[in-house]
Amino acid sequence: MTEGRTEPRLKLLAGLVAFMFAALTTRLWFLQVLTSAEAREKARNNYVHLVESAAPRGRIIDDQGNVLVENRTTLVVTVNRQEAGDGLESDIYTLSKLLGISAEEIARRVESPLYYENSPVPVASHVSKKVAFYIGEHQGELPGVTVARVPVRTYPQGSLAAHVLGYLGQVSPDQLQDPAFEAYEPGDRVGKTGVEAEYEHFLRGTDGVTKYRVNSAGEILEQLSERPPEPGDDLVLTLSSDIQGLAEESLQVGLEHARRTIDPTRNKPYMANAGAVVVLDPTTGAIKALASSPSYDPTFFVRPHTSEQYEQMFGAATGYPLLNRAIQGQYPPGSTYKPFVLLSALRRGIADTSAYYPCPPFWEVPEDPLHESFDNWSKTDWGSISLSRALFDSCDTVFYPIGYQYWRIYYPPTSPPKEPLQEDLKKMGFGSATNVDIPYEKAGRVPTPEWKAEWHRNDPENYPSGKWFPGDFINMSIGQGDTLVTPLQIAQAFATIMNNGRECVPHIAQRIQKASGEMVMRIRDHCGRRVPFTHTQLEYVRNALAQVPIQGTAASAFRGFPFSQVWIAGKTGTAQVTGWQDYSWFAAMASAEGKEYVVVALVEQGGHGSMTAAPIVRRVVEGLYGLPMSGFLSGGATD
Amino acid sequence: MDLVAGKTYPAERRAIRHVDPVLVIAALVLATAGVLMVYSATHASLVTQHLDPGLYAKKQATFLALGIVVAMAIASFDYRFVKVYAGLVYGASLVLLVLVRTPLGATVRGSQRWFQLFGFQLAPSEVSKLAMIAMLAAFLSELHTQELTLQDVFRATAIAAAPALLVFVQPDLGTAIVIASILVGVLVVAGTRPRHLGVLALAAVVLIFGSLQLGLVKDYQIDRLTSFLDPESDPLRAGYNKKQAEIAIGSGGLTGLGYLEGTQTNLDFVPEQHTDFVFTVVGEEFGFVGAMTMLLLFAVVLWRAFRIALLSKDPFGTYLAAGIASMFAIQVVVNVGMTLGIMPITGIPLPFVSYGGSSFLTNSAAIGLLLNVHMRRFK
Repeated sequence: MTEGRTEPRLKLLAGLVAFMFAALTTRLWFLQVLTSAEAREKARNNYVHLVESAAPRGRIIDDQGNVLVENRTTLVVTVNRQEAGDGLESDIYTLSKLLGISAEEIARRVESPLYYENSPVPVASHVSKKVAFYIGEHQGELPGVTVARVPVRTYPQGSLAAHVLGYLGQVSPDQLQDPAFEAYEPGDRVGKTGVEAEYEHFLRGTDGVTKYRVNSAGEILEQLSERPPEPGDDLVLTLSSDIQGLAEESLQVGLEHARRTIDPTRNKPYMANAGAVVVLDPTTGAIKALASSPSYDPTFFVRPHTSEQYEQMFGAATGYPLLNRAIQGQYPPGSTYKPFVLLSALRRGIADTSAYYPCPPFWEVPEDPLHESFDNWSKTDWGSISLSRALFDSCDTVFYPIGYQYWRIYYPPTSPPKEPLQEDLKKMGFGSATNVDIPYEKAGRVPTPEWKAEWHRNDPENYPSGKWFPGDFINMSIGQGDTLVTPLQIAQAFATIMNNGRECVPHIAQRIQKASGEMVMRIRDHCGRRVPFTHTQLEYVRNALAQVPIQGTAASAFRGFPFSQVWIAGKTGTAQVTGWQDYSWFAAMASAEGKEYVVVALVEQGGHGSMTAAPIVRRVVEGLYGLPMSGFLSGGATD
Repeated sequence: MDLVAGKTYPAERRAIRHVDPVLVIAALVLATAGVLMVYSATHASLVTQHLDPGLYAKKQATFLALGIVVAMAIASFDYRFVKVYAGLVYGASLVLLVLVRTPLGATVRGSQRWFQLFGFQLAPSEVSKLAMIAMLAAFLSELHTQELTLQDVFRATAIAAAPALLVFVQPDLGTAIVIASILVGVLVVAGTRPRHLGVLALAAVVLIFGSLQLGLVKDYQIDRLTSFLDPESDPLRAGYNKKQAEIAIGSGGLTGLGYLEGTQTNLDFVPEQHTDFVFTVVGEEFGFVGAMTMLLLFAVVLWRAFRIALLSKDPFGTYLAAGIASMFAIQVVVNVGMTLGIMPITGIPLPFVSYGGSSFLTNSAAIGLLLNVHMRRFK
């Protein structure tokens, strides 16, 4: 080296280089040692491409083996945003022209936050084979766009039992957070209502997954693994298509008849806007039919729809047809409640089967300075009558004093309060859900002083008094006031009377089986809980109710009924709902040829029980036992 | 200058004995590794194109053989001849850089950088780096001074600026950066006052902002340069290379996935992998151990180059070696740094390892020059 000062300068330069190499080493250590696992995961995501094949959902079959719900395949166009990359904009443009949907709408669907960046987003379903073929042929111009064959629901029997079956919809963000829905991905379809929702996890099956190794161009190089889809299990119902059809048809006939009948109190026809029919096997709790009107076409939910369309189809204008009135409609039971009030009165020693009770046109509350008066439905004084007649002729003025007796037991209030009537009604299953295997069932209501006080506290505007009055018991004795029941609760309670006090939980599923027919699970009957009434008390009530169609309030509706062939007992109900026309009820128990049924009909704004509901029930019973159809014999204006 | 052209000295015949074996071995190992890495990076996609999987590796092996010849040829004559012909070589390289802009040059992906010759692409920018180093060393060594005046610094800068600008407009930002770095390296060794370096830095800043303002730098260049700061901003374009490179290197882990086993490499996820991103193959298939070994080999090359600069018997040799050392150093740091995501993405090849004849032969010639200076270090 010639010049002495060059050496430190070279060392300075070398030091600078060494410093930069140290920086490279640090970064290498960070990438390859500290964060290597993440990089490997990313590399895996790069080259592993998952293709899911949807598992066909299990079928829903009635007790005769008739298929109610099965699948067909539809063609769905999907866009994978990650695979589309830069081509997304041109994809949207091309698809817009191809599908006849605006580019903005397609972009909106593609950008749905419900889907992961690297999973296919459905943008159009039910596309034609022509469109599917075009997309298949032009893959080069449509990066990330594929046509998938997706199974969808189809309903061979149309809208039959639509409320029972339920429908499918996209899994909700809340459900995705739920551990029970761990296997679900955004966009998956899931049962929203009915047995589709209740038995979701059996019906769903397991989607198949095929893993491919792909290169950066997305070309498939090899198949890494394959798990074929596992079809969902079939659900067999206790429901019978024939009986369901009979119930729906009879309800429809009843509704139409009521709409042609003039309501004398208002001088216009009955609205008869809605109704429900329940057919139950009292010995097992098996539901044979569950009809609710108005109904809807379940295929609506197979195609995508807007919220406006939904509102239009299922809003107030169409009478909320999605509501399953048999389990979700809550109504005052009216006189159909009397058998249960009487059972309680017999149990509590308030009423005596050997005694006779006056049945005046009206009854005043004793010791009441205001002389508040409660009317019977008839203006005639029937003199002294038995409890049996009080039941089959539905004498309100016999039941008012019974209700008043419960006030005497209750007042002055003690702690805990003495409420034997409510206790006994709750034992019959009122005020709580029956736990039928259909979701979103309502509980109804057995009012108590505590309940009334709380409602007043929560909503003093609409409930100006929180105090419990004798009138509350008096109204309860005839199934009015704040009492609410669902048609299914009434059916279950009548089944318990028929079953000699043994209660069965109603159920609509019978068994779950593989597509091959191999049994997966039997749905057991849940019978056995006993209600606190003696066989004698129950028999007395049953016998009294048997007189209802023969000589009681439903006699005109059951003119000519072959009582010798089919034993039948029942109770009419005419429920008053403030601001509306009377609600028509009839609950019946029938037995013949070793087959027992409980049939309940309710018609909103359908008039008297014997007028609309009783003929509906008669028609159903005739159908159940193969009796000749008598036509629609509307009864008179009895209770 | 005491050298008389054509006159031989008896001692010259013994020069071969003073070759630097460490430098030769390090460079050969790197070049051999390069051939293997190029094979790994290209074989799978060549197979899918129904081409010979060894197509690129064989070409690179040919360059390696040619490179050895070139290095030996350049080491064989006294490097002081280079000083004599530096001006000529430098001038010729500038002419080539101008000619490549004419229809004689081939345009590839928006850049006009190559001459198409006998099936090979010749990039004059590669040759121009070496020509510029020679010119710079010749100029500075003739000053015979311990400390450069500002005027000297400007003259030296002018020597570098001519090829830098011609390369920059191709556009080849990476090589322009390399040329500028070489200038700084040589100026430091030649004795530039820190104050003058400051003036130079200021001028560079003004130049950069000026060219940005005038739109001389293309948008994609800015994108690529800045994407390393925020790769998620545009993962499918500028940031994509960086992201995939980091995934490749990161998934190598400590010991790598094994030769030809890298998924990022085999499935083509890293773009330009056999050229600019060849280091990702090392990272993915040989892991931290392999990557560090390669960096160590480069450190050995640089150590020998600096040592040769120190041992040189004359300032010309010193500046020549320092310039070459600067060239290797900046290319390794920027190239590896870019694959690691800490340097902007510029098209700078990794010396000896990246696929490409012009680059490889230029580096071979540089090694030849280093060996030359080393062999003739005795006065």
